[in-house]
Amino acid sequence: MKDKCAELWQRLAAALKPQVSADTFKRWFSTVELVDATDTRLTFRVPNNIYQFWIESNHMAALQAAIMTAFGAPREVKFVFPGNSGEAREEAVVSQRSETSDETKSSGSALGLNPRNTFETFVVGPNNEIAHAASLAVAQAPARTYNPLFIYGGVGLGKTHLMQAIGDFVWRKKKSTKVLYVSSELFINEFIDAIQHSNLVKFRKRYRQGDLLLIDDIQFLAGKERSQEEFFHTFNTLFDGHKQIVLSSDRPASEIANLEKRLVSRFEWGLTAELQPPDTETRMAILRMKARAMQIKLSDEIFQFLANRIRSNVRRLEGALMRVASFASLSGKELTHDVVEHLLKDILQEEARHSITIEQIQRRVAEHFDLRLADMTSKRRPANIAFPRQVAMYLARELTKASLNEIGDAFGGRDHGTVLHACKLVRKRMKEQDSLRQTISFIDSSLQR
Amino acid sequence: MKFTVTKEKLLEGLQQVQNVVSTRTTLPILSNVLLQANGKEVRLTTTDLDVGVRGSFEADVEKSGATTLPARRLFSIIRELPSSEIHFDVDGKNTASIRSGQSFFKILGLPEEEFPPLPKFEDAKVVTMRQKDLRDGLRKTSYAISTDETRYVLNGVLFSFKENKLTLVATDGRRLAMVDIELEFPRSHEADIIVPTKAVTELQRLLSDNGDIKVSMGSNQIAFDLNNTLLVSKLIEGNYPNYKQVIPSEAKERVTLERETFLNSLRRVSLLASDKSNSIKLNFSKNNIDITANTPEVGEAKESLPVAYKGRDFSIAFNPEFLMAPLRALTEDEVYLDLIDEMSPGVLKIQTPFLYVLMPMRISS
Repeated sequence: MKDKCAELWQRLAAALKPQVSADTFKRWFSTVELVDATDTRLTFRVPNNIYQFWIESNHMAALQAAIMTAFGAPREVKFVFPGNSGEAREEAVVSQRSETSDETKSSGSALGLNPRNTFETFVVGPNNEIAHAASLAVAQAPARTYNPLFIYGGVGLGKTHLMQAIGDFVWRKKKSTKVLYVSSELFINEFIDAIQHSNLVKFRKRYRQGDLLLIDDIQFLAGKERSQEEFFHTFNTLFDGHKQIVLSSDRPASEIANLEKRLVSRFEWGLTAELQPPDTETRMAILRMKARAMQIKLSDEIFQFLANRIRSNVRRLEGALMRVASFASLSGKELTHDVVEHLLKDILQEEARHSITIEQIQRRVAEHFDLRLADMTSKRRPANIAFPRQVAMYLARELTKASLNEIGDAFGGRDHGTVLHACKLVRKRMKEQDSLRQTISFIDSSLQR
Repeated sequence: MKFTVTKEKLLEGLQQVQNVVSTRTTLPILSNVLLQANGKEVRLTTTDLDVGVRGSFEADVEKSGATTLPARRLFSIIRELPSSEIHFDVDGKNTASIRSGQSFFKILGLPEEEFPPLPKFEDAKVVTMRQKDLRDGLRKTSYAISTDETRYVLNGVLFSFKENKLTLVATDGRRLAMVDIELEFPRSHEADIIVPTKAVTELQRLLSDNGDIKVSMGSNQIAFDLNNTLLVSKLIEGNYPNYKQVIPSEAKERVTLERETFLNSLRRVSLLASDKSNSIKLNFSKNNIDITANTPEVGEAKESLPVAYKGRDFSIAFNPEFLMAPLRALTEDEVYLDLIDEMSPGVLKIQTPFLYVLMPMRISS
């Protein structure tokens, strides 16, 4: 980071020199130090406040022009000097701590990692213990255990949290490790940018010289052929160089439509870990942990209520907790069942909507296979009707809490054996045919939405 | 409390203190003036909690006492009174009866106890100087004070007591004015303090050409004692920027200018400086300065000023207002303008220790 800043400053200084007089440069800019550089902001350390006042008042135009020349885009400029406000003080403390001072401060932002996302703050339950254990193993010994690590799961279940925790852990252990955390969208954008400005070499250098590459939401690569190709080569280079790769997605690699086979097979090479929605106990644990972190005190009853009623994802759980807590602190009223229920009306409604009914499944399946809803319950059983019906039964078994008998009844009074047979058959066929597996997961996800 | 006073004396007394009166009405008592009648005089005090002023006037005090009355209202009443003799009578409920000729006014006041007392200056560092010196010094610097509230340390004048010298500095980031005043004081009294704009303005009003002023510096406040008037003010907390950094070390060219001629030329030419760029150009050539300004779609102005100049030809642009401000404040006949090049600051100097650094504007052509 320090080297990078020094290098950036060299470039900037070169662009700045022609803009100001020699005396001005020597007087005002020779002692300036670039301490932090992000894509939007440059932070300069100056010896004292006169530098800030004078540069801001007189040399801002020249500085911004130089920034444009050096980096091609304007940046926000910030000054810090010893003794001013929080930031500088923090910096002073940090610089006493170790020689890697500037890096410590800029860690999170520079790497794009959220400092709150660590293994310590991750609540482990049966739903995510494999993913957690695998992530921890990868973090402790990058590129030696599971490479690549592929984490998948629905929204708000902790994919990003785990990935960032790996990045944070590895980086903390050895500060010289090059950790690169990006979303696949950023990867694609940077790639496009690199093509446009024909500096692919720089782009490749950035991605292929990391020690740990974390790519979030890899499913967005789907359908982007050039990006996939680029990523394929990046992947190979890193893999061959024994560098750790961690990927996350909202579905298994094989179910990402329009993703090249060679990528799918590579993604499945290492370990694939699934994150599932947390069970009630885990949700309770998450709530308690969050409440502690936010310094909120709530009764067990409220925790129980939230954990029971909000099942779908952790982010929503957190939002609900926040809402309840802020209501409590703002209004000062006592939190009763009714109050909370009223407060979370919209979230609870949303949750309720997520309990899927058999009828919804039938409708959705009929629609997908282009049948009439009546076909789902009719006695007719030509193959083009019978199979979709069996798929619907399978989904009903998977997605609802209905018993075999109830499902049978819903499908025109069939007995439980028929339903059981349908489930077995569909499961077997899913193993054999990737296309069917994709179809069903597609219907599944459209129902979950 | 009961006293009789002439209209002139009372008006003069009120004028000294009434500017401090707070316009914010968060605390009603702050818009009042404290009147304390005792012996042969009545003391007047106003404060806005940051700055406070105490003055007095002579009066025939019949019964001593104290009260507070709305300052602005009192002032406008007294100013309009027909006769020159005014009788004041305040009862126990702080109701003041003012009688003058055929006029009678009754104003409701607030009890004295509610009025915030002015801070005490016990073990403060005391320096005595001539009023004239301080008045000149402040006149030469105070126009450069910054009004940008985000740079609060610049919202005042730096009083730097160092090495038997009082240095006054004001800057707003584009220009800087500095004056040195020779002064004797013990080593232990060395200090750097920032006196806020409001106190500086009030102080300039109170200072006269004769007499001494006693400056008492407390830990976070300052008092200026001008014999019969006292001004106290909080200080701006924080470190004043290292102004020396701003002052160019050497000059390449120096021109000597007649202050008034130069100022008049600038004033005329600046009439055609555009509001937008607001710059005025000085074009130097042998023994001549062409002062030019132009506003697109309006017109242009040019004035030649013969000077003794033998350096290279070059042009430099300044904000006309910033260039004229020190010329107005100075009284000397001759000023020196030191320049390096078109991008480096210009420095205005006079015979006595004074310095005005002004950043040039970019010449767009």
